[in-house]
Amino acid sequence: MDRSEAQSRPKRYIDFGRWIRLGIGVIVVGFLLFRLWNVLWIERAYGLDTWTRFAVSGIILGSVYAVVALGYTLVYGILFMINFAHGDVMMLGAFAGYFTLEALKSIGFLNRSVGTSVLSVIIAFSVGMLFSMLIAVLLERIAYRPLRTAPRLVPLISAIGSSLFLQNMAQLAFGAERHTYANPDMIQRNSGWMVMIQGKEVLITYTGVLTLVISFLLMVGLFLLVQKTKMGKAMRAVAQDKETAALMGIDVDQVISNTFAISGLLAGAAGVMWGLHMGILYHYVGFIPGMKAFTAAVLGGIGNIPGAMLGGLTLGILEAVGPAILGIPFQLKDVLAFSILVLVLIFRPTGILGEVLSKERA
Amino acid sequence: MKRTSLESGLLIGCLSLFFIVLGVTSLTGSLVQDWFKLSSPILGGWLLLFLMTFWGGTLAFKKSPSKSWSETLRTGLSVGLVAGIMLALTIWGLGTLNAQAVPIREWLVQLTPAAIAMLTMGRAPVVAALLMFVVMLLAGIGGAAWAYAALHYQWRSVLNTRWLSARESVINMSLVQKYQQHQYSKQIAYGVGALVLLTAPLYLGRYWNYTLGTVGLYVILGLGLNVVVGMAGLLDLGYVAFFAIGSYTMALLTAPQPHDIVMSFWLALPIGVLLAACAGVLLGIPVLRMRGDYLAIVTLGFGEIIRILSKSDVLTDFSGGPRGVRAVGGPMLFGLNLNNEFYFMYFIILGIIIVAYATHQLQRSRVGRAWMAIREDEDVAEAMGINTLKYKLLAFAMGSGFAGFSGALFASRNKFTGPEDFTLLVSINVLSLVIIGGMGSIPGVIVGALVLKGLPEMLRQLDDYRMLAFGGLLVIMMILRPEGLIPSSRRKMELHDDESEALVPDVLVEGGEV
Repeated sequence: MDRSEAQSRPKRYIDFGRWIRLGIGVIVVGFLLFRLWNVLWIERAYGLDTWTRFAVSGIILGSVYAVVALGYTLVYGILFMINFAHGDVMMLGAFAGYFTLEALKSIGFLNRSVGTSVLSVIIAFSVGMLFSMLIAVLLERIAYRPLRTAPRLVPLISAIGSSLFLQNMAQLAFGAERHTYANPDMIQRNSGWMVMIQGKEVLITYTGVLTLVISFLLMVGLFLLVQKTKMGKAMRAVAQDKETAALMGIDVDQVISNTFAISGLLAGAAGVMWGLHMGILYHYVGFIPGMKAFTAAVLGGIGNIPGAMLGGLTLGILEAVGPAILGIPFQLKDVLAFSILVLVLIFRPTGILGEVLSKERA
Repeated sequence: MKRTSLESGLLIGCLSLFFIVLGVTSLTGSLVQDWFKLSSPILGGWLLLFLMTFWGGTLAFKKSPSKSWSETLRTGLSVGLVAGIMLALTIWGLGTLNAQAVPIREWLVQLTPAAIAMLTMGRAPVVAALLMFVVMLLAGIGGAAWAYAALHYQWRSVLNTRWLSARESVINMSLVQKYQQHQYSKQIAYGVGALVLLTAPLYLGRYWNYTLGTVGLYVILGLGLNVVVGMAGLLDLGYVAFFAIGSYTMALLTAPQPHDIVMSFWLALPIGVLLAACAGVLLGIPVLRMRGDYLAIVTLGFGEIIRILSKSDVLTDFSGGPRGVRAVGGPMLFGLNLNNEFYFMYFIILGIIIVAYATHQLQRSRVGRAWMAIREDEDVAEAMGINTLKYKLLAFAMGSGFAGFSGALFASRNKFTGPEDFTLLVSINVLSLVIIGGMGSIPGVIVGALVLKGLPEMLRQLDDYRMLAFGGLLVIMMILRPEGLIPSSRRKMELHDDESEALVPDVLVEGGEV
C-alpha cells in the first residue's frame, strides 16, 4: 500500500502576508507612476531650475545621511545592534564644533584672514570629531560592553536609554534654545556660486559643496581603512565570526572599541557639517537625522558600506524630490522618509545592495 | 599610591564635574535648602560633592587587595587628592571667570552666577578652591575609613539579624498568627485593599485625583505594552500611535467640532478600542515578520508618522490639526453627568482591574505560554507547532486595544485632545515603566508607573531631570537588574540562567547568543 495515499492531504496554508504585500506594492507603484506622469506632463508646476534646486539640496542632505549611516552600518555589521544613540553622538559633535567656532570667534581668530578661517574650520572639525569619538567609545564601554552576551532586547533598550540620556544631558548643559552656528564670513550659509538654468538663478552654497567634498573624502577614507589596513581586516574578521577571530589572536574588545571610535569620528564630522550647512543646532537635532540615516543604512543594505553611501544619497534625493512628485506638502517630508523605511523593510528587508552579515545571522 | 585608587578618584572627579555642568549640585542645594529651611543652598551642593568623594573612597578601598589600616589611609588619600585637585581647579577657574564677568551662562546654561557663587561659597576663588581641596581630602579618607570600619564591625549582618528577628517576632505575635490561620484571611486583605481603592477618590481632592488618574492611565498603557514587550518580546516603540488612535476616535466621535457626530461616550469607547486594535493588526501583518530590532525602528517610524500627520495642516479639516479637538464628550449614566476627575478615577481604577485581570489570565493560559515561547526563541516555538505570526498579531492587537482604551479615557477626561499629547516621549515613558517595573510582571508595571509617573509629580523641581534619569536608569537597569524591580519569577530565571551554566566552558555552548 502506498503510504502517501494513506496520509491525509496536507492542509493548504494561504500566505495572507504575501498577498497583502503584493497588493500594497501594486498600489504604491501605480500611484507613484501616476503622480510622476501627472507632475511632469500635466501640471508642469516646476521648471528645470526648481528641479535642479531640489536635486542639489537632496544630494547635499543625502551625503550627510550617508556619513551618519556609515556609523550605523559599521556598528551593526559587528555587533548586530542598532546603535540608537548614534544620532545623539552626532548632535554632541555638532555642539563641540559650535563651541569651538564660538571660542575662535570671540578671540577674533575666525575671520582674521582666509588662512585663519580655513584653519578654524579644520579645528572645528577636529574637535567635533574627537569629542564624538570620545562619547562613542565611552558609550560602548559603559552601556554596551557589559551586555554583549545578553538577550538581544537588552542592549537595544540600553541603547534607547543612552540616547535619551545624551539628549537630555545636552538640553540641561547647553540649554533648550536654538543655537546658530557661527560660520566664518567666507562660507556664510547664504553665499555660493550662482548657476543660470533656463534664465533663472540657482544658488549652490559653499557650505553645501564643502559638505559634499568632506563626506566624499570620509567615505573614501573609510573604504580604504576597512579594505586596506590591518585594522580593517581585523574588523572584517570580527564581523564574520567573533570566536574564530579571537582564536586567531584578534583582540575583539579592542576591535569593537575601534569600530565605535570610527563611527564616532564620522558622526562628529557629520554633526559639524550639519551645523555649518543647516546652521541651527539644539539638543533634539540628532534624532531625526539619526532616524533617517538608519533608514538610509537599511535602504542600502545594513552592514554594507557602499550600501550606506548609496542609501544615503537615494534617501536624500527622494526626500527632496518626493513631496513635489507626490504633491504633498513639504511639511510631510519626514513622513515620506519613514514610509520609505517601512516599505523597504516590508518588500526588501535586505536593502538595495543586500545585507552583509556573518553566518550567525544569515 | 595604587593605580586603581587613582582611577577611582578620576572617575569620581569626572562624575562630580559632570554633575556641576548639568546643575545637579545646584538642584541638590536648593532641595536641601527647601527641606531643612536653610538660609543658603551652599550646604546641599557641597554635601553632594562630599558624598561623591566619600563614596569614591569606599569604592577604592573595596577594590584594593590589602585591607590594612595603612592601605585605608593610602586609598582614601589618593582618591581625595585626585578628586580634590580636579574640583579645586574647576572651582578656582569658574570663580575667576565669574569674577571677570565672563558670561559662562551663554554656553553652559546651568553655570549661572548663583550656581558658581554656591560652589565658591561667595568667597575668593583661591580660598574656595583650597577649602574644597581639604574637604575632598577628608571625604576620601572618611570614605575609606568607613569601608574599613564596615569591614571590621559588620554593620550589615548585625542589622540584618536585627531585622530578621523583628520580623520573626511580628509573625509570632498571637494576633498575626490568628489572622493568618483565619479561614478568610486572603479575602479580608483583598476587601481592605478594595475598600481603600474605592474610597480613595473621596478624600483625595481634585489635584490628586487628576494626577493619580494620569498615573492610572499610564498603568493601563503599561499593562498593554507589557503584553507586547514583556510577554511576547516584541519591542514596540510606536506605542503612542495606538494611544493617539483611541484618543482621536473618542474625540472625533463625541465632540461637536469638527464633525458634529456627538455620539455617546459608551458607544465611542468600544469603537476607539476596536479601531486601535485594528490598527495594530494592520500594522502588524507586514511588520511582524521582521527581526526584533527592525520592528523597533518601524514602530518608532509609525508613531512619528501618526504624530506628524496629526500635527500637519493636511488633516486640519478631519482632526483639527495643530489646534486639536475641544469639548470632547464625557460619560453620562442614568442622566447623571459623570464628567469630572472624581468619577473618572473610578473608571480608571475599574479599567486597571479589568485589564490587569485579563492579562493575568492570559499570561497563565495557552496563549500566554505561546507568547513566552516566542519571546524566548521564535524558531523553536515555530518548530513546536505554534503559529507564531498569529500569536504575535494577537499580542499586538491586545496591546493596541488596551492603549486605545487608555487613550479614549484620556481624551474624555481632559475634554481635549491634540497632537502634543502624543510625542515619542509617551512611548518612551511607558516603555521605561514596563522595563523598570519588570517585563512580564503585572505588579511590576503598577509599581513602575507609580514610581516613574507619580514621583516626578510630587517632586516638581526634578521635572527637568526626569528624562535624564529615565535614560540613565534604563542603562543601569539593563546592566545590573535586567529583570526589573519586581520581576516575574520566570523571567528572572531566564535572565540569570547563565550563572548556573557557568561551569560549562563558553566554547562548548553551541548556538548560545553571542
